[in-house]
Amino acid sequence: MDHSSLAGRIFRGVALALVLVFFMFPIVWILMMSFQTNEQILRIPPRILFEPTLANYQALISGHLRTTAGNLEISFMRNLMNSFVLSSAAVLLALLLGVPAAYAFARFKFRLGESIAFTLLSFRFAPPLLVLLPLSLYYQQLGLNDTYFGIVWVYQLIALPLILWIVRGYFEDISPDIEHAYRLAGHSWREAFTRIAVPLAGPGIAAAGLLSFIFCWNNFVFALILASADKQPVTVGALAFVTASGIQYGQIAAAIVLSVTPTLLLALYAQRYLVEGLSLGAVKG
Amino acid sequence: MARLELNSVGKAFGAVRCANDLSLIVEPGEIVAVFGPSGSGKTVLLRMIAGMFEPDEGDILVGGRSIIGAPPEHRGVGMAFQNFALFPHMSAQDNIASGLRAKAAGGEVTSRVNSISRLLKIEHVLGHMPRELSNGQKQRTALARALIGNPEVLLLDDPLRNVDAKLRYEMRLELPSLLRRSSAAVLYVTQDYREAMAIADRIAVLIEGRLVQVARPEEIYARPASVAVARLFGDPSINLAEVTPRAEQGALTAEVAGTRVRLESPDRQPADYGACWLGVRPDDLTVARTAGEGAIPARIVAITPMHERAVLLLRFADGIEWLAALPPDAAVGSAEDSVFVRFAPEAALLFDRASGLRIGLPPRRQAA
Amino acid sequence: MSMVQLLQTNALPRRTTRLRGRMLPYLLSLPALLVCIAILVPFVTAAVYSLQRYRLNLPYLRGFIGVDNYIDFLSDPAFWNTLRISLVYTALTVVLELLLGLGIALLLRRPTRVHNAVSIVLLLPLMTAPAIAALMWKLMTNPSFGILSYLVSLFGVHDFKWASDPSSALFTVVLVDVWVYTPFIMILLLAGLRSLPRQPFEAAALDGVPASFVFFRITLPMLAPYIITASLFRLLDSIQQFDIIYAMTQGGPGDRLMVFQVQAYLEFFQYTNVGRSAALLMILWLITNILSNIFIKNWLRLRARAHGHA
Repeated sequence: MDHSSLAGRIFRGVALALVLVFFMFPIVWILMMSFQTNEQILRIPPRILFEPTLANYQALISGHLRTTAGNLEISFMRNLMNSFVLSSAAVLLALLLGVPAAYAFARFKFRLGESIAFTLLSFRFAPPLLVLLPLSLYYQQLGLNDTYFGIVWVYQLIALPLILWIVRGYFEDISPDIEHAYRLAGHSWREAFTRIAVPLAGPGIAAAGLLSFIFCWNNFVFALILASADKQPVTVGALAFVTASGIQYGQIAAAIVLSVTPTLLLALYAQRYLVEGLSLGAVKG
Repeated sequence: MARLELNSVGKAFGAVRCANDLSLIVEPGEIVAVFGPSGSGKTVLLRMIAGMFEPDEGDILVGGRSIIGAPPEHRGVGMAFQNFALFPHMSAQDNIASGLRAKAAGGEVTSRVNSISRLLKIEHVLGHMPRELSNGQKQRTALARALIGNPEVLLLDDPLRNVDAKLRYEMRLELPSLLRRSSAAVLYVTQDYREAMAIADRIAVLIEGRLVQVARPEEIYARPASVAVARLFGDPSINLAEVTPRAEQGALTAEVAGTRVRLESPDRQPADYGACWLGVRPDDLTVARTAGEGAIPARIVAITPMHERAVLLLRFADGIEWLAALPPDAAVGSAEDSVFVRFAPEAALLFDRASGLRIGLPPRRQAA
Repeated sequence: MSMVQLLQTNALPRRTTRLRGRMLPYLLSLPALLVCIAILVPFVTAAVYSLQRYRLNLPYLRGFIGVDNYIDFLSDPAFWNTLRISLVYTALTVVLELLLGLGIALLLRRPTRVHNAVSIVLLLPLMTAPAIAALMWKLMTNPSFGILSYLVSLFGVHDFKWASDPSSALFTVVLVDVWVYTPFIMILLLAGLRSLPRQPFEAAALDGVPASFVFFRITLPMLAPYIITASLFRLLDSIQQFDIIYAMTQGGPGDRLMVFQVQAYLEFFQYTNVGRSAALLMILWLITNILSNIFIKNWLRLRARAHGHA
């Protein structure tokens, strides 16, 4: 607690610098790698200063990779698009299902509601493979395997509990009198819900949506099991890409950068909601 | 316009009965104040009428039609909330306009919003968001929103609770005419007896979920139905003493702190009443330096000057303490002085000690 | 007081609208309920599979065998290896992340502009997909050009094989886990630290109480609910870790990193032994279920306290 002593301040400064280096270095290093040619990457000792190249990104965007084993067609951009499609669709679906349910849980105390909320919450902590492996067998029978519809349906299992618990807290913070006042002014509960409750919980809904988008985007195991190459998101695609492209390290780094950029930007944009969302609203004071 | 009618309305939350056999009629254009201590069930009563929850027993009628089971938006009820309950994401203008239940044309909405806000003197803040409004402006916006739809029944839930003293004073003067203009049946909940007396045509006193007295303000003040009611009206509150009144020589008397005082008999023929409470309002006491018949000796414990009068704390020989409210210029002495306290026989109220009910004319439960 | 609670105190609905009002919450949460059921069905299926001899490549052998799959585990060294690795991995990651996270949270405790900026920047690893994070570290630990391999060589450690050597594989994946998830603990504890009341600390400062005493007797006990919540959160995730390990080594080298979910995944897809895979996952579920029950209770208490009641 000694803020004033010089030794204390130096110690804190050094500790803070070490922390920053440990957590930031990998991101910075990979970013630098993505602008290097393979020759530059393989140079020993590594150099901080180099002549940047966009060749890796060009190759990824065009889909034509030149490797030592010959030319390779890899549709990493398709993985990127799949991530967008799957994550957005899952979040939209989860919002559509979750916001009304969150409203019901916040406004009405009913036993079924608590049961649903807790089932979903406890599945947040269940091993995902336990559900996924039998589901993949069912999906094969139903013909849902490797369809966007089928994958989205599973993806929104990531988003729904998060949305339920965060948005519920926001609805609970709205005074019921405000909705009563609107209804007494001659509006149905549906109008009170859409014109009063939803706009007032807007920031919470947006935060929950952004966060669940990030979590969907970052998911790996769901698509690994349910999606084949042309439906795979970047997380699975990047791993396949590593296997396929072998030693094209610059391109691997560029693929990694492209994979994480959207979520990292969203995270910085929505950072003030992250604490709440990460703890499912646990420490909201 | 339509009258509001409550028929034996009852409501319990678990083991707590918040409303017990409530019957009340509010005529169109009439203002009835629902007054009672906090937790007496005032808000529950309003919310049952507004449709936020339904009574367990009894019926609620507006214009002769039962509104039980009808959703809030179809009840013809307007309400102003204690915490204003303004829509924080809408301007004052839109807040008020939302109260126009009939989908009026745009031009008509504007003109009606303008006229009601002129009436409430908030036309200059119509473009503001609720967070930019002072509490007084919020209150007026909420009132405008409740009034603009011309509801048949208007419910006001302690609307002046959260505004400052000056504004409360002004609104007390303005509100009655404003409310009467709407010719709605108005139920006005308050915890302040002065507000109830200033605003209402009649006051319904609610204690522990029961209507113990419904009457005109001055009647409740002069002839409270019970000790509990007598205590709620008046500041400083009514002085009480345990007495056992006796009929003596054609007059009713009681002994207060060793002094026999005359009381007015509610009956033609004075009779013994058993154990009673004697109640005398502080305003009805006179304090003098000189002894005399029926004058109770006392000591002044303390004198508190209050705006338009002085309040004396008096202690009788038997230790009972009473308050007297006197004109500030009535110089009767200072603390520790010995004085004599008198009151007129007709100022004395008698209550049965067991039931708490006032002895005298039966309290009028339904004053139409 | 809620509407439904109130409505339910009425024995008989007197109008149909009241009935509709009572149905409303159920209607609103119906879709979420269906989703619940949609999860519960495969879950129950998995439980049934775990009691069957069920191999995808030998479908005609399929049949009910009771708890034989589970009994087989008792004598199977691979299972004990999985259990051991999972527990060691969990213990290592949670303890390291907790210590590091607490340390960083204490460093960033005062809400200065620099501290807030650092705490935001530290979100980035947490928001990186764990599978991608594993790939990043795989590039950095590449034996021929990886910057980390180069750095340790500067300290005289040559040919350090990171994840591809059985002796350092666990260390490497734990390092990645620490990189990704320490910020999570840090954020929760920082929020907890900043919400602690000031008075005890001011009083202690006035009385000249030594810093170590303040930390162990005031800070830690007051922070305990947050620490428990954060560690349970991590415990539940860590014992199920799949992404980092699978992306890094697919459970290897050998069976060095065969944690529960990786083992179950391989049982299913490589050995097509559905019954065994399901039984493994059921055991994992049992462990997490016990932990998550403790967790949810604790978390609800914390949440209730944050909302100012109980």
